[in-house]
Amino acid sequence: MSPDAQQDFAFAFLSILYEGAPFILLGTLISGFIDIDLPANTMDRLLPKRTLPAIFIAGLLGGILPVCECAVVPVIRRLVKKGLPVSCALTYMLAAPIVNPITALSTWKAFKGPIVSLGEFGTVTASTAMTVSRLGLGFLVAVAVGIIVARIPLRKILRPRLLDSLRHDDSHHAEEDSDHDHCDHDHHGHDDHICGHEHHDHPKHDCGHDHDHHDCEHGHSHEDDKRFGSRMIAAFRSAMRDFVDVGVYFTIGVTITALFNTGIAPGADWLDTLAENPWEAPAALMLLAFVLSLCSTSDAFIAATLDKFTWGAKLAFLTFGPMMDVKLIFLYQTVLKRRFILLLALGLFITIGLACVAWQAGVTALNP
Amino acid sequence: MTAVLNRSLQSVALITWGSALVYFHVSNRMVKYLAPDFRLIAFAGGLALVVIGLFTLLTCRELASCGHDHGPEDEHDHENLDIHPFGAFLIMVVPLLLTISWTKDQYSLGALTRKGLNDTAADAGSLFLSSALPPLTKEIIEQQHPPNADGYRPFPLMELFFTSADPEVRELVEGMPVVTEGRLVPDAEGPPNRRRLYRLFITCCAADSRPIPIVAEFEEGEIPQVEDNTWMTLSGTISFPDEGEGNFALLKVDIAQETEPPFEESFMRGF
Repeated sequence: MSPDAQQDFAFAFLSILYEGAPFILLGTLISGFIDIDLPANTMDRLLPKRTLPAIFIAGLLGGILPVCECAVVPVIRRLVKKGLPVSCALTYMLAAPIVNPITALSTWKAFKGPIVSLGEFGTVTASTAMTVSRLGLGFLVAVAVGIIVARIPLRKILRPRLLDSLRHDDSHHAEEDSDHDHCDHDHHGHDDHICGHEHHDHPKHDCGHDHDHHDCEHGHSHEDDKRFGSRMIAAFRSAMRDFVDVGVYFTIGVTITALFNTGIAPGADWLDTLAENPWEAPAALMLLAFVLSLCSTSDAFIAATLDKFTWGAKLAFLTFGPMMDVKLIFLYQTVLKRRFILLLALGLFITIGLACVAWQAGVTALNP
Repeated sequence: MTAVLNRSLQSVALITWGSALVYFHVSNRMVKYLAPDFRLIAFAGGLALVVIGLFTLLTCRELASCGHDHGPEDEHDHENLDIHPFGAFLIMVVPLLLTISWTKDQYSLGALTRKGLNDTAADAGSLFLSSALPPLTKEIIEQQHPPNADGYRPFPLMELFFTSADPEVRELVEGMPVVTEGRLVPDAEGPPNRRRLYRLFITCCAADSRPIPIVAEFEEGEIPQVEDNTWMTLSGTISFPDEGEGNFALLKVDIAQETEPPFEESFMRGF
C-alpha cells in the first residue's frame, strides 16, 4: 500500500470505527445486563403468545428500544440465548435500525426541502414521503422475514454453537423440570422456540434463573452471590465478551468498507452510470449501501445527496443498507449460519429492489 | 488459555479502543473525523470503554456469579469468545494502532479527487442547503456579507460552491469582490494558473465526507508556492463561467494569504 493509500485508508477506517464503537458499546452493555439481570421471560411478556402477532410487535420494538444495526446484533444474540423466538429476534434485528425514532428523525431532516409530486393527488414533502416509505417498507420486509423464518428449522438458521447452547439450556431445564416436579412450561406453541426460559407466571419458580437455591444444585458457590458487585462483575465480563466478539467482526467490516470508500479496492466508479436505469439504479444503490456500511441513524444524509438517482433508488438504499452490508455480514456471523446470511441477503436484495422499483413506477405513473 | 489471561486480553483491547477515542477527543483531532453531534458520544463511549476495561482488568481474578443456574457439568459461560482470544485481541488492536500511526487526519489528493474535488455544484446533488435559501436580492446578499477593510465580502466556501448551481443567485453574486478560505490543492483539470480551494463537508464522519471546491485563478507568477492542503485565505472577484461542463465558481485572486485552520475545518451537517 502506498503512503497516500495508507493515509486515506487510516482516515476512513478511524472515522468509521470512532463513529460506530460507542454504539456497539451501548448495544453490548445492554446485552451484558440482559444476560445477567433481565428475567428470562421479560421479552416474552412484551410479545403476544401467538407467533404472528408476536412477529408484528417485534417489528415495532425499535420504537421503544431504538438501536442501530451495529448495536442490535449483540442484543438479539443475547435475547435468542434468553429464549426470544428466533423469528421475533430476526424481525427485531432487521426492523429496529429502521423503525425507530432516531432514524425517522434523521431521514425526515435529511430530505427536508424537496417536494415529491403525486400528480392529481397533489404534492408531498420528500421528508414525509421518504420517512413514511422507509419505515413502512422496513417494517414490512422485516415482518415478512420473521414469518418465513418461523417456518424454517433452527439448525438451518443459527450458528451451531449458539444452537448447541440453546439445546443445552433446553435440556438443562428439562432436567430441572423433573427435579423440581413443577413448572407448567409455556412454549407458546412456537415450533422454533427452543427457549428453556419462558416459564410464565410461576409463583415461586420464575425460572429466569432465580431459583430458590434449596431446590436445585448449582455449580457456583452461593457465597459469591452475596458478595457485593459479584453480579456486576459478571455483567461487565459478559458485556466485554460481547464487545470483543462484535468488535472483531466490526473491525474486519470497517477495514473492507474503508478500502472501498477510499477507492483502494477496485470498482465503484461505474455506479453513476447506472443512475437513470429504473432497474439498475436501485440495485446500484443497494450495492453502494452494502459497501459503505453506513449507520442507519445517519445514512439518509448520504442518500439525500445522491441526486442523480430516483427517490425509489434512494429508498432502496435506505432500506437495504441497515439490513445488510459488509459490516453486518461479519456481525451476523456471530448469530447466523453463513448459508442463511447469504440467502437472507439475496432475499432482501430482491424483495426490497422490487418494492422500490414498484414504488418509483407508481410515482412516475402519477406524473406522466 | 486461562480465564484470567483471556479476561486480561479482552480488557486491554477495550482500554486500547477507549484510549484512542479519548485521546483523539482530548487532542481535538476528533473534529476532523466526526460531525459535532457524534463527538460527545464518541468521547463518552471512549471513557466508558476505558472504565469497563480497567474494571474488568482489576477484577480479572475475582470469582463472579452470573446468577444463572449452571449445573455442575454445564459448560456454558459468559466469557468465551467466538474465536481464539489472542486472535481477537490482534484483530482489534493491530489495525487500530496501525491506522493511528498512518493517519494524517486528512485525505490525499487522490482520495479527494475520487470523492468529488473536481465536481461542480450541479454534480453535487440535491443541494439540500441551497434549497433552504430564501428568495434573495443583491441588497440582501450585501447586507448578509458586509465588506472587510479591503472591500471584499466574506463568503463561506460552501455558499460560493452552491451559488454556482442556482441561476438566480448566481446572477446576483457575479462579479462581487469576495474573500473566502479553504485548503489549496492543484487543479488537475485546469490550466496551470488555476488551483482548487476546498473544504470537506462531513455528514457524520470523514468516511462520508466530500470536498466542496471552487476554482481559484491566479495571475502568472503569483501562484502561492505552498504545500498541498495548505489553509489559505483568498480575496478576489467571483464569477460563475460555464466552460462546457456546467457553471462553476471561479475566484480571480487578488490577494492570497496563508492562514490558520479554523477549529471546525470541515463543514458539518447541522440538525
